[in-house]
Amino acid sequence: MRKLSNLFMGLSLLCFVVPALAQGGEAAATNWVAITAGFSMALASGLCALGQAKATASAAEALGRNPAARPGIQLALILGLALIESLALYTLVIIFAKVK
Amino acid sequence: MPEQLWFTAILNHLFAGPITALLRLLHIEPKYPQAPIHNAVAMELLVFLFLVAVFALLRSQLSVDKPGALQHTFEGVQDLIEGQSHEIIGDHSEAHTPFLMVLAFFILLCNLIGLIPGFESPTAVPVVPLGCAICAFFYYQAQGFKHAGPAYLAHFLGPSDKSMSIFIRIPLAILMLPIEIISHLARVLSLTIRLFANMYAGDMVTLVFFSLVPLGVPILFLGLHIGVSLLQTYIFILLTTVYLAGAVAEEH
Repeated sequence: MRKLSNLFMGLSLLCFVVPALAQGGEAAATNWVAITAGFSMALASGLCALGQAKATASAAEALGRNPAARPGIQLALILGLALIESLALYTLVIIFAKVK
Repeated sequence: MPEQLWFTAILNHLFAGPITALLRLLHIEPKYPQAPIHNAVAMELLVFLFLVAVFALLRSQLSVDKPGALQHTFEGVQDLIEGQSHEIIGDHSEAHTPFLMVLAFFILLCNLIGLIPGFESPTAVPVVPLGCAICAFFYYQAQGFKHAGPAYLAHFLGPSDKSMSIFIRIPLAILMLPIEIISHLARVLSLTIRLFANMYAGDMVTLVFFSLVPLGVPILFLGLHIGVSLLQTYIFILLTTVYLAGAVAEEH
């Protein structure tokens, strides 16, 4: 019963959207490409940061356990960080290509 | 007339006539006939001439008993690249050192030349990193064919385990072939975009902060650009070495 009343409340809130649809096309068109570009770049950067944090954390831990293996760990860390970084950069390139 | 750097203007002034004639022979009409040489091409040419001059100077100064500072520098870089390629590729990796060293110096100088006022980085234009990536791609494919002959094509069928039955290996090979081809082409794409995006983003972010705070703050981003240039050169060479290892290394 409570879920049903919440559902109806949500659906009735959607009625507020109708006036916005009514005036579509009159005012200056909103640049949806730019807004989406901002969101997608933020998402890409955030996820890339999480991935790099995980890589750096395990590299630091491995280095603490076995300092003698430093060259190999350093190589794997730098390679991993650059590959993850490049994934966020692909998003940036699409933005440069598509946003006026 | 497009906006030109001073070096490009000199080159166009001297060579525009013959180059436009040559392009028209190949049925290519340059966009600006008085300035067929692009800024990026002029900067690449400058880096090339500078590197040839440095290598010629180094060659004339080579000495076993009393190595100078220039020789020490280049020997240091060679040790770095040889050590890394030996670690990744295994035996007989010294044959690849010349290509890797020249690629490293070229990309590094192309990245760094943008910091000097009056010059711009050719790697901030998408086609220059594409050229470097295509060179690396053809090099490692050619080395793969040279090392294994026509049997190198078996690499594109994915891993094969002799213990599995033939009824599993053939569908697996058919499945792996398009995946491997796309993955090899994606390597070219990723090398290109990684280098281009890092250099272009460095330029853009310096410009943005220059428009906000013209004094002092952009120098931090130029310093970051130096670090990023070195790192991206290293990553490019490292990835080329890894791809070479995939093409050339023997299975144990």
